[in-house]
Amino acid sequence: MRAEARFFKSLADETRLKILWLLLAGGELCVCDIIGALGITQSKASRHLRYLFNLGWVTDRREGMLMNYRLCVPPGSPGEKQLQLLAEMFAPHPEAQALRARLHDWLGKKRQAKVKDAPEEKEGSSIEPSL
Amino acid sequence: MKTEAALFKSLADETRLRILWLLMAKEELCVCDIMGVLGITQSKASRHLRYLYHLGWVNDRREGVWMNYRLSVVPGSPEEKQLKLLAEILSSRAEAQALKDRLEQWLAAKGQSKEGAASEGAAVCQCS
Repeated sequence: MRAEARFFKSLADETRLKILWLLLAGGELCVCDIIGALGITQSKASRHLRYLFNLGWVTDRREGMLMNYRLCVPPGSPGEKQLQLLAEMFAPHPEAQALRARLHDWLGKKRQAKVKDAPEEKEGSSIEPSL
Repeated sequence: MKTEAALFKSLADETRLRILWLLMAKEELCVCDIMGVLGITQSKASRHLRYLYHLGWVNDRREGVWMNYRLSVVPGSPEEKQLKLLAEILSSRAEAQALKDRLEQWLAAKGQSKEGAASEGAAVCQCS
């Protein structure tokens, strides 16, 4: 039953539970989203994400300098049932709801920043043809 | 979410998982049953049972010098659903099935030794 003990150990940490909860809401998230929403350092976020990756909870996708993560439990697996139960446990939790609101705000701000940056990028890109 | 992390920490141990599995198979067990089936010391069995007690997984009932334990999760609660999921995960494991067989054998042997003890006047197991 060592595998099962390890399975539960991966959930026996507040930060990892929060990350899974955010991924349950957000589909795919960048490490920077986890950092922004939870207010933790990149080293801490990456460490826990690698832990979840090694246990098979999440899969990763590199995009430039940053890693993106999303849940990857097979449908009908114990892992998926556990995540469903986790979502059920957290749904009535004010702390969990506040966390989702923070993620929502964070993603909203990120989108706005991108829109602001977009014209500058265009100006920058106009240099390219001359190169 | 500290509570949930603590809940999962209580499941993040092989011995505690085995104890919960045994209690799902038999309504009430004495500390001596847990010791006998798992082959662990009384100190280890009691320590893990107290841990499970404090997390609300089990209830205790004193009977003479021994403590008896049974599951105490509220029907329909997340904890009950968690135990059901645990049972589902473990039921396909050969190790878990072997443990159930060992529990059956242990309880049968205990029943016999009690009958023997009653006629010979020798107390083999102190419980009940």
